[in-house]
Amino acid sequence: MRYEIRVDGRMSETLAKAFPELDHVLMSGQTLLFGPVVDEAQLYGLLARFRSLGLRVVEMRQLPET
Amino acid sequence: MAATGDNRRGTQAAYADPLGEPFLHTRFAPPARPATFLRRDRLVEHLDQALQTPLTMVNGSAGAGKTLLVADWAAGLRRPVAWMTTEAEDDSSGVFWAHLLQALHVTGAPLPDAIGCPADADRVDHGLLARLAAALSEGTRPLLVVLDEFDRVTAPQIAEELEFVLHHADDGMRLVLVTRTEPLLPLHRYRVAGAVTEIRDAELAFTPKEAAALLDLHGLHLPAEATRALVTRTRGWAAGLRLCALAAQETADPQTYLKEFEAARSTVADYLLAEVLKRQPAPTQDLLLRVSVLERFRPELADALTGRSGSEPVLAGLHRQNAFVEDLGHPWYRLHPLFAEILRAHLRERSPELEPELHRRAARWLRVSGALPETLAHGAAAGDWDLTAGALVDDLAIGQLFTGLRRDDLDELFRSMGPEATSAAADLVRAARDLCRCELDHGLAHLRRAEQTLADAARDGRMDAAGRLSCALLDVLAARLSGSPGGAEQAARTAEELRGEVPEHVLRKHPELIALLLTHLGSTRLWAGRLDEARAVLSAVVDGPGAPSTVLLREESLAHLALIDYLNGWPGRAERKARAALGDGERGLLPRPCGSGLGHTVLAAVAVDRDELAQAQALLDEAAETCPAGRDPVATAGRALASARLLLARGEPQAAATAAELSVAAEVACPWAQAYTALTASAAHLAEGRPDSASKVLDDIPCDGQPYAAELAWAHLAAGHRDAALHVLEALHGHNGTGPAIAVRTALVRARAAHEAGDTDTARRLLARALLQARRDQLRRPFLDAGPQVRRLLETPPLDELAAGWLILPPGGQGTPGDVSQQVPPLVVEELSGRERDVLLRLSRMMSTEEIAADLILSVNTVKTHLKSVYRKLAVNRRSDAVRRARELHLL
Repeated sequence: MRYEIRVDGRMSETLAKAFPELDHVLMSGQTLLFGPVVDEAQLYGLLARFRSLGLRVVEMRQLPET
Repeated sequence: MAATGDNRRGTQAAYADPLGEPFLHTRFAPPARPATFLRRDRLVEHLDQALQTPLTMVNGSAGAGKTLLVADWAAGLRRPVAWMTTEAEDDSSGVFWAHLLQALHVTGAPLPDAIGCPADADRVDHGLLARLAAALSEGTRPLLVVLDEFDRVTAPQIAEELEFVLHHADDGMRLVLVTRTEPLLPLHRYRVAGAVTEIRDAELAFTPKEAAALLDLHGLHLPAEATRALVTRTRGWAAGLRLCALAAQETADPQTYLKEFEAARSTVADYLLAEVLKRQPAPTQDLLLRVSVLERFRPELADALTGRSGSEPVLAGLHRQNAFVEDLGHPWYRLHPLFAEILRAHLRERSPELEPELHRRAARWLRVSGALPETLAHGAAAGDWDLTAGALVDDLAIGQLFTGLRRDDLDELFRSMGPEATSAAADLVRAARDLCRCELDHGLAHLRRAEQTLADAARDGRMDAAGRLSCALLDVLAARLSGSPGGAEQAARTAEELRGEVPEHVLRKHPELIALLLTHLGSTRLWAGRLDEARAVLSAVVDGPGAPSTVLLREESLAHLALIDYLNGWPGRAERKARAALGDGERGLLPRPCGSGLGHTVLAAVAVDRDELAQAQALLDEAAETCPAGRDPVATAGRALASARLLLARGEPQAAATAAELSVAAEVACPWAQAYTALTASAAHLAEGRPDSASKVLDDIPCDGQPYAAELAWAHLAAGHRDAALHVLEALHGHNGTGPAIAVRTALVRARAAHEAGDTDTARRLLARALLQARRDQLRRPFLDAGPQVRRLLETPPLDELAAGWLILPPGGQGTPGDVSQQVPPLVVEELSGRERDVLLRLSRMMSTEEIAADLILSVNTVKTHLKSVYRKLAVNRRSDAVRRARELHLL
């Protein structure tokens, strides 16, 4: 599974390193993180990590397999 | 506030911790509010409703100000509040409840000791929860329980159990959950009933007016417009506002600075934290980054991590400013969880190589200060296994790998230990983990290597008493598993000598160490057939300290004692002890790799003696299910014995002979196990018409006063050797300590011998005595096996009267009397009431009267009344009969 997760605000490079498994791009006022997610457990783990770092998830979607 | 806060901490610090974690009290204290804390009346008023509703949920994102809000509100209540900050380890049910009970004790809540304590990390006895709920419901006013950071509890089981206690505590408990995520409790039900007070993110958000007041407290005075813009930018998020204030404080022109922040559109906490951090002096930045690896810390520990002194004033200053650091009660601090996370991200970026070193320093400092669980966690995080294993062994805590609430956590922790650790302690830990899984060969190899390392160290003048004592403990266990009584005694003597060389207070902290040693020694002695000596040490375990870490060992020792009673011919005593072994602390069987299932086995053997064969089969099945094919010699021998007897009673002698063959390799043979194997083989030969073979297999069994001599005599007699039989009985004569089952079998041998010799009067007299002795314990099997001649005697007066009702069927009945369906004529059963069904259902789960009472929240007497009427309606007078009868009538 591949996911893309949109977070409110532009993340610093430092904080982005807290998600080494995901790539990221900065957009206008948002950060888009994307990459492979092994299973649901990892997905919920990621969400918990966003929350514990004070990040606001505004959108999350599964990407079609290529 | 300061005065009340200090008092509170004083009492908490004095409280001893059942899990042996000295700093636990910091988890039972709400954090102190910093000088810059802003009380918001609208939230306090809303929270006051928490006193009226059973459940309250303060649910908001990290840094929303939940914890301080509730801490401040609770401090203003002027009543005891049980506070618990949940940690990751609390996601196991047993650990969670042990800590919650501790939190309740800390508040001085009057809870009876009888509630007990969980014995296993991942489960809790339902009866315990029922007793807790009942105790809470009896309080004069509801007890307020706050669980902070409840989002760390994700196990649905714990939510269910919490809901159970909350529900059954009736009006005796007010639960406040402070959490980032919605808990798994059935909130909709509480909402429909208006039984929940909820404060969520939207309500926690600061209004512009509140934000202005907060910024004022931080010495930042902004025009209303600027404040409003800031609230919009941060969405009223408390952490964001705090960081804004801290960042802007330091600048020449705060307003312009904040305008820039508004425009920057970066993620709030991350950006602001970096801003605030870079404004701190370099040593302070370094301190904050380094302590981010710690759950909590005191200034000395922070010093150890920075390698400099002087952390104390810096930490106090940071707490005063409300910057990152929370005060948990002198002298402990912690980082605000949100900031700790972000700081760790910074640490990893700035000095990625530093993290393991910081963990190692923390482990070293904690090891000296005596905080074992945290030492182990940091040692493992550092990958320094010699240090980690050394800390465990030095603390005499190696027994925790076998028993107690930390067992699974420790097992998990040491799972990642690599081969690079070569200390004696590391090998001891490896050996312990192997032996725990009954992997004897691997365990012994590691144990020998540890012994070698210890011996080398001793030659160099380094005596490691703790290491050698741990080694002796593992030696006893290895001896038990390999059936080696000599080895066990030798190791136990070594342990006894070493006991004086380790500090008494350390040993007292870990009662499981000595309890394990004695249990294993007792089991080995039982294997060797030295029943009295086995009983002496096993009784010492049962009567020993009732710590949570020894609950399982006391149960195991009780089961062994039950087996000893059974072998000595005391089925009633054996049954009581086996039941106690299954019911003490935790109901039901706990799956343990070694030695468990013995309680069920003994109950099954007793059931066979009573000719309750279906019951015996059910018990053996359950034992096999909970503890499959262990390699513990005594448990294996016990199971072989009970299975063989059951098969013999069923008339399957060949299968019985196969079942009686021991599948376990032992250095020294077990006399009673050998005897019973031979007895079963003899019975099998006899059943197939080979009396000579039947007699021959008995030849080598020594019978000098062993309790099994009565059965040996019976086997000789059955094989047609009356003289040999009587000779064996002579040897038993005058042997003390044997019980009714032996006496009954002895009398049967003599009676049959007398009958065969034509002395019917003597036979009758002996049989009458046997019947009287057997009746109380319902020992039917010996009479059913006694052959047609004896049975014919039993059916004639005056013996038939003694046998009537329990041994001999009413006229027309068929089958064995233990079989209730045939004993009791079908009756029209009076309808059971709902409560009676409830009681019956729990009876079928082998719950005791007390447990049923606790579970149903009834008094013991009420349950007894229900039981009596259940018995009457089902026309039975025993629990097991009631259950069986109910099953037949499809009432269960």
